[in-house]
This record gives sequence, C-alpha cells and structure tokens, in this order.
Amino acid sequence: MQIRQPILYASILLLVFVVVLVAMGGGLFNQSTPWPVQWQHQSFNSLCHQIADRSFWISGQPMAVCSRCIGIYSGFALGWVLLPMLSLMKITRVAYIKKIVVFVLLFNLIDAAGNFFGLWQNTLVSRTVLGGMLGSSTALIFIGDFFQHN
Amino acid sequence: MDEVAEQQAEQNNQPPYWTSVGIAGLIFGIIVFALSLVTSYAMINSEPTGSLFSPVQLLGVFVCLVGAFGGMLAIWHYANEYDISIKLGKGALIGLFTGICIALVTVVFNQIWQFIDPDMTQKLIDSTIANFEASELPDDTKQQMIDSTVQSMRDQNSIGTQLLYNLPMYGILNVLTGMIGAKVFGKKEG
Repeated sequence: MQIRQPILYASILLLVFVVVLVAMGGGLFNQSTPWPVQWQHQSFNSLCHQIADRSFWISGQPMAVCSRCIGIYSGFALGWVLLPMLSLMKITRVAYIKKIVVFVLLFNLIDAAGNFFGLWQNTLVSRTVLGGMLGSSTALIFIGDFFQHN
Repeated sequence: MDEVAEQQAEQNNQPPYWTSVGIAGLIFGIIVFALSLVTSYAMINSEPTGSLFSPVQLLGVFVCLVGAFGGMLAIWHYANEYDISIKLGKGALIGLFTGICIALVTVVFNQIWQFIDPDMTQKLIDSTIANFEASELPDDTKQQMIDSTVQSMRDQNSIGTQLLYNLPMYGILNVLTGMIGAKVFGKKEG
C-alpha cells in the first residue's frame, strides 16, 4: 500500500477526533460547571443550535452539538479512519460518491424541513443516522487521495 | 530533486488566494453575525418560557454548520477565478485562513454592534435570567445556573474570549470544507 500526504492525513485525523471529543460536551469529562457555559458549548455556539432536547446527553449533560451534528462529525471521523481499508475497493469514479453526498445532503434537508413543518417527527437516532451518512459519505470523497493499493 | 524543485516553482507561480479568502471570510462572517443577531433579538423579545432555548432557535436546524462552509466558497471562488488545479493541502490552508477570517469578521461586527446597541448584552442577560426564573429547576441549581451564565455572557463581550472560542472551531471545520472544496471545485490535473 502506498501512502501519499501522510502528514495531511494524520493531521486531519487528529483534528477530527478533537472536534468529536469537544462536540461530546462536558458530560464526557464529568465537568461540574453548568453546561450552557462550558467551553465546549461556547466553542460550538455559533455553529449549532445546541437545543438540549435535540441532543444526546452524557452524565446528565447535553452534548455541545445536536444529534445531527454529532452524527456528521463522528460519521466523517469514521469514514476518515476507514479510508485505508475503503481504498481497497478501488473506487475510481469519485463522481459517484459526490452524487451520493448531494443525495444524502438533500435527504437531510428534507428530513429537517418535514419535521419543522410538522409533516413527520424525526428522532435523535434518525437525525444522527442521517448526519452520520452525510459525514461518512463526505469522507469517502477522499478515497484514493491518501492510500493506493498496488 | 528536479521534480521537487519543479513542484515548488509551480506552487510559487500560482496566483495569490487572499482575495478569495477575504471574500468568503467576509460573506460568511456577516452571515454568522446576522444569524447570531437574529437569535439574540428573538430571545430578548420572547416571553420567558422556562426553557433555555426559544422556539425561534428551532430555525437553527436549517443553519447548523453554516459557518463551516466558508472554506468551500473560498476554494470555489479561487478555482473559478484562475481556472487552476488545487491540491488538498492548499485547500486545507485556504480553508484555515478563511475560518480565521470568519472568526475575525464576526468579532469585529460584534464589537461594532456594541456601539449601535450598547444595551443588547444587558437585555440578553435579563431575558436569560427571566427564563431561568421561570424554569422548574431547584432554587440552588437555578441560582448557580444564573450566576455562571450571566458571568459567561459578560465575558463573551471581550475580544479575547470571542476569539478563543471561535478561532479553533472555525479554523478546523473550514480546513475540512476547504479540502472538500479542493476536491470538488479544483480543476483536474492532466
């Protein structure tokens, strides 16, 4: 297996894991400060609505991001970790993956809109799964950029 | 060795990306600032419900992560303007600078708004306190939440605190979207 741009790959891997850890909020570390003012919540303040009812809770505290956002971040992290193995699939037509990303993105928007207008009620899990699909499919765009099997 | 030198020369010959960074940073900085303003005034003008989040914030489900897409716009603009291929590393770098730019623009607009409506922070604090008062939390927890939240809201007025919270996340997320942009919008080599 040939590795290209290993420093970039490793840096992004590290950064993505930092983002996921921070996004999980203070509950992960049993922080005692009230959760609305924890630094994790402040960091994502302008990036996510952070509505507690729409977030997973750890140790009695909501995560710093909503269920869809944690799905996106963790999905991307998972996809990034799996890139070396997924490169084995020898997918050369990245255009297909781009179409999948657009499709999943639209699916997420439709889901959010349907829920907003009361057409259906999505759940924490459904939002996380859809977000996870978006995150992981986005990571797959980079198949072949970092790992190549001979 | 020659190949490395050639690549270096090619990189050096590429046009500067600062205009794209500036444009994307400004546009997304304004969008993020405007959204925070809408949320703040919606909270100020809403009746205390006891919930820490107003129903208006539900609108936020559509704008989650919007500030993360500056990197992608910068790459799109750069690629369109010069019709060149963009390497992933360069996309990441442009994304990083765009994220920093977004954070800076947001902080600058926040500071300007302090002059336009100096009472906004106080009104926000009053609204938050009223919300906590209306909640069904135990009294001691309620008071603790009020004290720490009010302190945090006052701290957020400082430039240093705003940069400390905004720079890292905007930087990282725009690095990612910058790379995605390079992959999607960069002209294919060869």
